[in-house]
Amino acid sequence: MLILKQLCRSFHEGGRVHRVLDHADARIEKGAAVAVVGRSGSGKSTLLNVISGIDQADDGTVEYDGRDITALLEPARTLFRRQHVGFVYQFFNLIPTLDVEENVRLALELNGVRGAEARRRSAALLGEVGLGDRLHSAVDQLSGGEQQRVAIARALVHEPALVLADEPTGNLDEETARQVFPVLVSLTRERGATLLMVTHDSALAGSLDRVLELRDGRLKPVGG
Amino acid sequence: MLWAASLRHLLRHPAQLALALIGLSLGVATIIAVDIATASSQRAFELSMDAVNGSATHQIVGGPEGIDERLYVELRTHPVASGSGAPLELTPIVEGYVTVGSSAMADREMQLVGVDPLAGLGVATSPADLGRWAGHQNRIGALRKWLTERGSVVMAAGTARQLGLETGSRFRVGVGGVDYPAVLIGQIAQESAAYDALLLTDIAQAQEWLGRVGRLSRIDVRMPKGPEGEAELALLRQRLPPGVGLHEAQGRTRESLDMTGAFTTNLKAMSLLALLVSTLLIYGAVSFAVVQRRRVIGILRALGATRAEVLLIVLAEAAVLGVVGAGLGLGLGLLIGRELIVLVSRTINDLYFVVAVSEAVLPVSSVVKALLGGFGTALAAALLPALEVAGSAPQLSLRRSVLEARAVNLARRLIVVSAVLAAGAGIVVMVSTRSLFAGFAALFMLLLSVAAITPAVLRGLARAAAHFVGRASPIARLAFGDIAASLSRTGVAVAALGMAVAAMIGVSIMVESFRESLRDWLGHTMRADVYVTAPGPGADRPERRIEPGVMQALLAIPGIASHSESRQVEVESPSGPLAMSALRLTRVGYSALQLAAGDAARAWPAFERGAVIVSEPLAWRLQLGLGKELTLSTASGLRRFPIAGIYREYGNDRGNVLISLEQYRRYWHDDQVTAMGLYLAPGVEAATVIAGLRTAAHGRQALLIRSNADIRAISMSIFERTFVITRVLYWLAAGVAAVGLISSLLAWELERSHEIAIVRSIGLTPVGAGLLIEAQTGFMGLVALVAAIPAGLLTAVVLTDVINRRAFGWRIDLHLTVAQFTNALLLALVAALAAGVYPAWRTARASIAGDIREE
Repeated sequence: MLILKQLCRSFHEGGRVHRVLDHADARIEKGAAVAVVGRSGSGKSTLLNVISGIDQADDGTVEYDGRDITALLEPARTLFRRQHVGFVYQFFNLIPTLDVEENVRLALELNGVRGAEARRRSAALLGEVGLGDRLHSAVDQLSGGEQQRVAIARALVHEPALVLADEPTGNLDEETARQVFPVLVSLTRERGATLLMVTHDSALAGSLDRVLELRDGRLKPVGG
Repeated sequence: MLWAASLRHLLRHPAQLALALIGLSLGVATIIAVDIATASSQRAFELSMDAVNGSATHQIVGGPEGIDERLYVELRTHPVASGSGAPLELTPIVEGYVTVGSSAMADREMQLVGVDPLAGLGVATSPADLGRWAGHQNRIGALRKWLTERGSVVMAAGTARQLGLETGSRFRVGVGGVDYPAVLIGQIAQESAAYDALLLTDIAQAQEWLGRVGRLSRIDVRMPKGPEGEAELALLRQRLPPGVGLHEAQGRTRESLDMTGAFTTNLKAMSLLALLVSTLLIYGAVSFAVVQRRRVIGILRALGATRAEVLLIVLAEAAVLGVVGAGLGLGLGLLIGRELIVLVSRTINDLYFVVAVSEAVLPVSSVVKALLGGFGTALAAALLPALEVAGSAPQLSLRRSVLEARAVNLARRLIVVSAVLAAGAGIVVMVSTRSLFAGFAALFMLLLSVAAITPAVLRGLARAAAHFVGRASPIARLAFGDIAASLSRTGVAVAALGMAVAAMIGVSIMVESFRESLRDWLGHTMRADVYVTAPGPGADRPERRIEPGVMQALLAIPGIASHSESRQVEVESPSGPLAMSALRLTRVGYSALQLAAGDAARAWPAFERGAVIVSEPLAWRLQLGLGKELTLSTASGLRRFPIAGIYREYGNDRGNVLISLEQYRRYWHDDQVTAMGLYLAPGVEAATVIAGLRTAAHGRQALLIRSNADIRAISMSIFERTFVITRVLYWLAAGVAAVGLISSLLAWELERSHEIAIVRSIGLTPVGAGLLIEAQTGFMGLVALVAAIPAGLLTAVVLTDVINRRAFGWRIDLHLTVAQFTNALLLALVAALAAGVYPAWRTARASIAGDIREE
């Protein structure tokens, strides 16, 4: 269970304080696939960053399976993220100097899985996302859809309990988005992981279990 | 608006801006510091010579024993005049080096100048001057004191203050180990540093102290202008007895300064190395600043900024950077220069002549050089990237991969450039046989060839490491792959470090080789058990002599089996003054001197019969060889001496002439002895004999009495002192390289912050990110070392076999030790790892969210 309690986060822009999260609350069940929608600049990415421990809340808590993530110090937050979180970004964020398989294996290696085991698991997952024949391709030779599938494989290879996706189809054309999105959702569901996805695409959002809207710094359920 | 954008960019990256400025200003500062140190020492010497020489145009000079004062009387009573013009003005001078000291102060070396106030042409010692210095209104009173009070001297007020002396203070003047009482009767209150190293006394007093009663060191001559003057000089020349010559005063000063020529050239070359290293780094910093803004420049171009405008902005920025860096370098150079003066003047005092440097001189030419150097370096460094970015199509973002592809292509082309430079260096060395400038040109070509090949070596090794180590770990692959993939950033920094490390290996091998050659030479040459020397500044000063009575007493000490004697003087020759050692050797002494050319079986008998043996530096400088002759000015005029051999010698970089003591006395009429080597009977302890010798000399002459081991240790310590400056300059160059490395790493880190943030977002800890950076910088340090080792060895060969040979004539055997390489390894690793600390710390602390957002 992921519980957000009274989450606050603000940024100082010049002399102005921009409060992007203002006592935001939410409860997300284990294994659920939840979409977060909202206007540009409403704080959706900040929400994911705070949940993953990349960013720190000014106030409030993020609890995952009874553990208060916000109370952890930086190294512990990194270890939490390393083991329990998988991240998919809008702009893929692959490492250009590593090939396809290495990009995926990197996440395993950070979790202490090395050698043949790491290779096997990376290759297997890349096979599942349809890139079994591109293991050693350079990432900048791939299409946008292929790059995002590599990113999905990297986010899931270490079997995290929580997958955070920040506009995963935002940089893809509609057709490619329709191909990539099911891959993300199905692989996450197969592993029983919780998916929290930020999106502007209401159709995609509507296909998930629940939709939350971030407005004025607070999370509100959409459509009941 | 364009300019505002440019300025804001610079101000938004203060660390980058600061490091570029530090690199440039350190390079400029090193050059300025060396200029200040050498120019100040030379100026102090020139001022002091001018004060002594005054308005003299020529000097009448004799041999080691000087000139008979009756010549002066003769020339004054029967003046040389051409009839129509005024007669030549003459001033007798007696001068020598002394040690000034008292119980309240440390000894200080000074030049004693004995003048005649009534014949004052040189040093301004008219009765009016004396009156002013002594605080007397009455000239006659001051003159009476000068002439009648025993030990009366005057010195510069500043020097007196440093020595803790006041007018009326009594102290001692040491001449060759014999102390004389002196009293300060006046102080020269002049702002100029001309008198700082001078101790003025009456000519008769100087004659007494220096043991030259009835003799003069020289007679200064002022020639009237015009043809009459020339005619009078010709007449004067005819009236000079054999062994006495007439020389131009300026020429004599120049000859003395020329002695330090090779020494100062070496210093300047070292300072140039620092600027060369900083040039590379400025190139790195400026090109990065341009590359970093390629997106902004693309936008500006898309909005309508012309190529010329973009080019102008980039070059103007570089120019401002250059001028500010040069300005800062000027200030920093002044600070370093003041410290360096101490080291440089100490070496000049150790090796060449006595000089007291009290004020720093910054030549205008140095200021211009610094400004042009800084400005030119920054502008030249910016030109290439500026042309590139201005010439690009106005696209919003030039892909990083395109830039790196260009860097890779450039690295490949630089391999050829490196080979050409290395071959060029070899050709320059072979074609030019004697030119020191060509030697340095070859050295710099060699160092540049290291810089040119380093990017390719770095890329090759990083790719290999990424391939082999990366098989096991994507993180390792990431670390090494990034180095290879960011050649535009990493290549220049590692090239600069490689060049500094190559220079360090080269210099340390040279110094070590020199040290070992010297140690070996001392081991061979210093065979006596105990050495007794008349003390005092200046190795070849005639006033350094062992009193005959003292010598007899010393030789009567039990336990001395045999002894050698030497007289060290300077003799005149058509090539200028030459250092001469007149020797009476024991049988062991002959075998001690290693002949580099000539057969010992024939050379030494010839030596006894009147041939000379010259040292390697002298043979090199005057291009002397076996079978040739050396012309020297003896007491009976010029005489040609056959050269029977060339011997190894590291004691005097201007060279030395050996002659047998008997022959010397015969030709120069000087029966003094400067030093003795004592060979003890078997079983006799050196310490026992030394104690006996000290007792025998006590109260009569303060001689330097040292054991064989002591004299070797002293020689080695002088050697070490001489190379302190080299080390200081070398570390400055290394400092510039380290600053540049930090600058490049910071720039690199800035570029990679997004990538590192991605890895951090999937679980790399802050410590892990820091370690990643440190692993990369450590690897770069190792690569710099790999590129530097062969080049460092070649640099050492050029330094020992070419530079040292051409500058000093020394032949040095190459001596390699593990320590030279481990030190270089330490330097490369420490510089690289230290340079990585701050970027690693910044990376570890960076905001992941912020860096990921910045795409």
